[in-house]
Amino acid sequence: MNYIIEAFQEAWYLIIGFDRELFNVVSTSLRLSITSTFFASIIGIPAGIFIGRTNFGRKKIVNIILNTLLGLPTVVVGIFVYSLISRRGILGEYEMLFSFRGIIIGQIILIVPLITALIRNAIYSLDEKLYKTALSLGATKIQQFKLLLLEARYGIMGAVITGFGRVLGEVGISMMLGGNIKGVTRTITTAMALETNKGRFGFGLALGLILLLLAFIINIGVYSLQEGKEYEQR
Amino acid sequence: MSSDKIILKALNIKKNIKGKNILNLREFNVYEGQFNFIIGHNGSGKTTLLNILSLVDDDFSGDLIYKNQTIGPKTDKVKLRRRFSVIWQNPYFYRGSVIYNISLPLRLRGLNKNQYLKKTEEIAKRLEIENLLEQSAATLSGGEKQKVSIARALITEPEIVFVDEPTTNLDEESIEFFNSHFAELVTEEMTVVMVTHDKNQIRSLAEKITVLKKGSVQYSGPIKGLHYQNDNNYYSSKQDYRLLMKN
Repeated sequence: MNYIIEAFQEAWYLIIGFDRELFNVVSTSLRLSITSTFFASIIGIPAGIFIGRTNFGRKKIVNIILNTLLGLPTVVVGIFVYSLISRRGILGEYEMLFSFRGIIIGQIILIVPLITALIRNAIYSLDEKLYKTALSLGATKIQQFKLLLLEARYGIMGAVITGFGRVLGEVGISMMLGGNIKGVTRTITTAMALETNKGRFGFGLALGLILLLLAFIINIGVYSLQEGKEYEQR
Repeated sequence: MSSDKIILKALNIKKNIKGKNILNLREFNVYEGQFNFIIGHNGSGKTTLLNILSLVDDDFSGDLIYKNQTIGPKTDKVKLRRRFSVIWQNPYFYRGSVIYNISLPLRLRGLNKNQYLKKTEEIAKRLEIENLLEQSAATLSGGEKQKVSIARALITEPEIVFVDEPTTNLDEESIEFFNSHFAELVTEEMTVVMVTHDKNQIRSLAEKITVLKKGSVQYSGPIKGLHYQNDNNYYSSKQDYRLLMKN
């Protein structure tokens, strides 16, 4: 029992003392997650809107594939990207293995389907009358698209934040493609695994608490966008 | 009553949905500056026709002629739609305040803030909804929604106002407000095309009336020319018909 109490005490002091190593890891994790979410959003937002609004021949199959990819295990993405960027892979010459860029590629592959599917659902859930009303109000095609974006904005933001939360908490891709290099590719989750194995339980616990706090903040964001008390007022 | 000048003509309009024929009209005319009513049973194609006439639905065959010009694939439909307005049975409002929703058509037309705010306040005053302007559109009651919808439709001073069953689902007070105020809100230059079941509205407002049955025109002309014809008529009983004709 003492062991746990001491670990919590150590974690607390590391956090309130702004331990440099601890916050270096947090900062790396945040930089990685923000970058991969940004690029995944650039792909996922238009893709989600396109699938949500357009009827095309293979839409059913695209939706089935998209839904399947939602449950994609991070290690599967990790091994797939590893095969591409390792020295013998087709992208081997770019030396992306065990680098920031390697993790970014893996994380983008992980969350593009998630962001796309959530935005598709947000578009599906919009009232069909929105489009008819926009036409009757005299909106041009661009204005109709802007109105659509404005109506779906909370769903879109929610999808992006959910994607961010997913990459922040993943461990498989960061471990396989990043290699857990201190100060470069060591993220909250990979550092937790490593430091706990090394016996630095307090350090791992401190990272866990920060990760929980970040997850809590992300969920407050998603909740207030999608179900908050002001939701009906908007 | 205005002269019988046709502003909008529909010729040989056919509309199928999933292989089923919904509308099959040889000719339908909208008379300028008049209240043109479309009546008929549920499923007779009234709303479908309204959607086609208001250029919201372009998935049909046939011709629409506006002021003697055929509306073709090369016609600037946005420009034409901006001369029309629609008051829907269940109006949709965008996220935001009432003032945002009423002024939206003017913003889409590129008016500046001073212009659209001034016009919004004017129309809100006429409809007695100034107190609702800052409120979120999502919190409006049924009657308030209909008033805001009328304000949004009339703020652009359209040439033709299409109205789809405006008082269905409303309480008596709101129906009373609509029936007593709508005619005053519409200016002489405006043409109205209204789909309704409300006999009071037909009796008090209709100048031209078209009866639809199973997608075809049963009768079209002045209300006084409408006769009761056993089972071939919109009205299921002579009593209903007499009620409509009672002045």
